Formats: sequence, C-alpha cells, structure tokens
Amino acid sequence: MDAPFVALQDLRKSFGATEVLHGIDLDIPRHAFVVLVGPSGCGKSTLLRMIAGLEKVKHGRIVIDGDVVNRVHAKHRGIAMVFQNYALYPHMTVRENLAFSLEMLKTETTEMERRINTAADILQLDMLMDRLPGQLSGGQRQRVAMGRALVREPKLFLFDEPLSNLDAKLRVEMRAEIRALHQRLESTTIYVTHDQVEAMTMSDIVVVMNAGRIEQAGPPLELYDHPASEFVAAFMGSPAMNLLRGRVVRMNGAPAVEVGDGLVLPLGPTAPVREGQEVVYGLRPEHLSIAPEPDAGLAGDVALVEPAGWETHLHADVHGRRFRAISTDRLDVVPGDRVALRPEPSRVHLFDGETGARL
Amino acid sequence: MSMANTSSPRSRNRPVRDWSGRIGRTALIGLPLAVLVIWTVTPILWAVLASLKEPLEIYESTSLLPENPTLDAYRKVLAMDGFGRWLFNSALVTVVATAVPLTISILAAYGFARYAFRFRHVLLLLYLVPRIIPRVSLIVPLNSLMSDLGLINTYWVLFITYSASAIPLATWILVGFFASIPREIEDAATIDAANMYNRLRRVMIPIAWPGVVTAGVLCVREAWNEFAFVLALVNETTMRTLPYQLYVLKDAMGVQDYAVYNAFTILTILPLLLVYLLLERRVVDSIVSGSVK
Repeated sequence: MDAPFVALQDLRKSFGATEVLHGIDLDIPRHAFVVLVGPSGCGKSTLLRMIAGLEKVKHGRIVIDGDVVNRVHAKHRGIAMVFQNYALYPHMTVRENLAFSLEMLKTETTEMERRINTAADILQLDMLMDRLPGQLSGGQRQRVAMGRALVREPKLFLFDEPLSNLDAKLRVEMRAEIRALHQRLESTTIYVTHDQVEAMTMSDIVVVMNAGRIEQAGPPLELYDHPASEFVAAFMGSPAMNLLRGRVVRMNGAPAVEVGDGLVLPLGPTAPVREGQEVVYGLRPEHLSIAPEPDAGLAGDVALVEPAGWETHLHADVHGRRFRAISTDRLDVVPGDRVALRPEPSRVHLFDGETGARL
Repeated sequence: MSMANTSSPRSRNRPVRDWSGRIGRTALIGLPLAVLVIWTVTPILWAVLASLKEPLEIYESTSLLPENPTLDAYRKVLAMDGFGRWLFNSALVTVVATAVPLTISILAAYGFARYAFRFRHVLLLLYLVPRIIPRVSLIVPLNSLMSDLGLINTYWVLFITYSASAIPLATWILVGFFASIPREIEDAATIDAANMYNRLRRVMIPIAWPGVVTAGVLCVREAWNEFAFVLALVNETTMRTLPYQLYVLKDAMGVQDYAVYNAFTILTILPLLLVYLLLERRVVDSIVSGSVK
C-alpha cells in the first residue's frame, strides 16, 4: 500500500485555553480529492491553515510527501491555497496577481510567462489579464484566485470554502471546473466546505468533522450509506435523514422501535438490538415510500409539499412526529391531506441512544 | 392611501411637516457648510486682496477690492534678503519631518495592527500621550535639553522635535488602515513566498495607500506650520522657517506694510495649499472592495 501523500498525526490545536482540534489522525492518498466538511466552528479551516503553514503546530505532526513540515515555512511546503474571500491583491492586475508568487520565488522570466499563460489558458483568463480585481465578477475573481494557485505548480492544492459566496448556478459551474482541474493536473487536493452537497459531488474521500474531531472519513457513498454516527447521518444527505429517539420493542414477533405517542417503527429481522435498548432510528427520505391510501402504512397529515422538479419533498406529521419523504412521482396532495408512509425496514439505520455510534 | 391621511382633523387640513424632506435636508446640511466655507475662505480672500494693494491703501481706503492691483508686495517679499533660505529651511524640515515619521509610523502601525503582544493596547494608548501635552509646556525643558546636547540652532533639533511630534498621530492613523486590510490577503502573500519586507512593501502599503497619504499630509501640515518649537530652539536668522519669519516680520517693519505682510502670508501658505490640491487628486479610493467578497 502506498504511503499517504499527506499524513496528519495526532494533531491538536488550542487558542488560549480553548482546544479546537482534539487529536486529528488522517491519511490522504496521493492524487486524492479530499473534502473536509462539517458545521461552522468544527475546526476544518483551522486544520487547513495548519497544513498550509499559517498556524503553528505545537502538538502532532504534519507529513507532506514524506517530509515532516511542522517547522517548514508555508512557501517551502509545495502548497498553494485558494481562500474563501479570494484574497486577491486589489492594487495589482490579474497578470500581476498571477506573477506575484513567481516574482517572490525569483522565477525566470520565460518560465514565469509560460506558467501564467498556461494558467490563463486553462482558466479562461486571457481577456482579463489587465483588469483589476475590482473590475471582475465573483466567478472571475475565483478563477483568478485558482490561477494564482495554479502557477505555483504545487504538490498540494488547498481550498478554503471557495464557493461559499457565489450564487447557486455559479457554484454548480465552479464545482465542475475545480473538479476538472484536479483531474487534469492529477494533483492532490484538500477542500474545506460546510456544504455537504459539495462534499458528496466533488470528493474521493469525505472527512466529516465535528467539534474538533473526525467523525468519519471515507468515500462519499460509504458515508451516505453507512454513517458511523448519528451526527454523520444527520449531516450527510439533503433532505436530512429522519432521526427519531426510541426504545426497542417487539411487534408481531419482530424487533421494532417505539418512539412515543403510540408510534412504532419496524426494523429488519436481523437488527443488532436487544429489547429495551435506547436507540436512534434513522431512515433516509428516499426510503420512505408514500402510499395514497392512509391505511397502507403509517398514517399522517401532510404538512408541506415541496416540488423540486424531478422529485417532490413531502413533510408529514405522524403521531406528532415530523417525517420527510421524497418521491420521484408527482404527488397530488396538499397540506392537510391524509397520507401513509411506508418505511423500508432493510434501509433503517440504528444508532446507540447514548453515544450516537452506529449499531 | 397613507396612514397620515386617515383620521385626524389636523392631518386633513394641512400637510404634515416633513423636516426630513428635500428642502429641510438641504438647509440642514447646506447652511453649516456655507458658514464653514465663508468662515474659512474669507480671511484668505481678504489677505489675497490686501496683498494686491499699494502700501498705504489699507489705511486710506475701506474698500475690499484694490483700486490699482499690483504685485509689488510679492516682489518685495521675494527680494527679501533671506527669503530663499527661509523657504529652503521650511521645505527641508518638512520633507525630513514627513519622511522619518512616516517610515517609523508605518513599521510601528504594522506591528500594532498585525501582532498580538502583551500590553499592546496600553502601548497604543501611550502613543497618544505626547499629543495630550500642550506643546508650549515643552518649550522650556526642550530648550534646556537641546542646549545641553549642543543642538540649538541646528537642523537636527528641528528634525528630531518635529518628527517626534508627528509620529504618534501618523501611527494612530495607519494602525486603523492596516487593521482594516483582511488578514487573508497577507496570508496569501505569505503562501506566495513574500517575506515581511515584501508583504509590507508590495501588499500592505499599496493597499493602505490612502492612509499613508493622509498621514503624510498631516505630517506636512504639522511640520510646515510649526511655530512653537522653532521659536524656542532656533534664534539665528539663517535657521528660521517661514512661519517664524512671518512672526518677526511685523516687528521688523517700521510702519506696517500690510500688503507685504499679507503677501508673505500667502506665499507661506501657498506651498501647503498646492500639496493639498495635488494629493487630493492622487488619493485613491480604497480598492480593497475588489479583492475580497
């Protein structure tokens, strides 16, 4: 097995008395597109800045391409970074922004020109080279920021929520551009975002972080299909997974979960639970089918219908509990109608009621 | 239908007075501005017109406008023995007392804005203490100190005192400008292999340029107009600056030639006015808005 290209070993970070990273261990393979995702304040940007060399490392090790870089200056780590707020030099033209790092590294003029022209060609910046950042649109500025990283020909690309302030349409376009760039350059990329859709669609490996710890790391569908904790289950997927706290009971000889107010939800026959155990019952919206006849499943009242184009999101109240369901069929229901929801027991996710760990 | 027209007899009979309306706003802003402009411009205008009058016309006529405008007063001033030297002294001291404070203040302000160290806030507040102490109260101790150092009647005494006087204000202005530059821009420069010198020279100072110019203009104004220190620390004619010579001019003339006096005044303030006009065109609005979201 190849050695990881980037290895984070027992990384900890404190700001004053506040510990923000608690022993991070992560191996990142060469050429991988790794996304660090999590809610605001989980430590993902701090971790990225430590990898970049912008934050000191006092506990743990960062290894990049076989070298421990704890005490290595950012400029010598072979990295390039694209910032959340672009961080373009406002007084320099696009060409000067691209050239700046190469000037600082005393790159030869011909080599400088080659790299700038290559970056401009890849990112379609040719017509913008003499403009100032203030004369560019949001998407153009982001491409210039990427170009500034590209000219460094780094071993490792770092992206810190680069798309967070773009509009939805542009975000989708730029996602594809970033991913295409990664594939073209065969680079290694670490990408930070709070958007789980970006995490799912762009990554080879998703790392879900929460409160300074890694909850789970793995291929996106692995996290989607087999979340290791209640937190990961709730975070990944849109609409979010239905999660209900309850207690394991037996119904008609098979295990089930009673969630209160007389509502009992079915489990598969081989569910790894014991009677009386406190659990969290999880079911993705697409695994709740909708039956028009109220007596064909869990009967409830429609609270909200959200047509999203090719699918419809349905919110229904069953025994006082809110469920979210997705249907690819057009639904002829309105708020207040009675519907029945049929869970697929084989697709249920169970988590320990106390620890949140997957059962 | 607006709420104002619904019920009360008062609102039905006459319109509600809206002091925030156009006329009110114009009066509220325009009147004080007009007063300020008149207050500021009138003395200068009076001085210019007086400088164009013949020597005794001011005594003989109450008219504001000169009967026979003449540049004789200006010729007399420019022909004064020593005028070139006083002008040179003012210019030299101003240039040094701008360049030195700006250099020191830029470095100090960058440190205050970007580095967290113990007592940072206290030190920054202490920077203001020299501004609080009345300058006049420093004359005697300064004179004694500079005399002991053998610096009286030298350029060095003016360089040192003027620079020391300007550094606190320039630093305070620049701290705000540097602090307002997003840290990510400097992080980007760090990753782009810029050392501290290059970060300051190629990134921070250009972005904070309006602040640098503002601080520079204030240094120029303070140095050019300075009077108390030069009065206390210089007594040789050849070391005088224009404000000092203007002060002694009145006593030097027998019968007051107000035309000459005013011509000297105008020639004293003219370079400063030109600096203001020149730099007002050159001050660039902040272009940081293009660099970050």
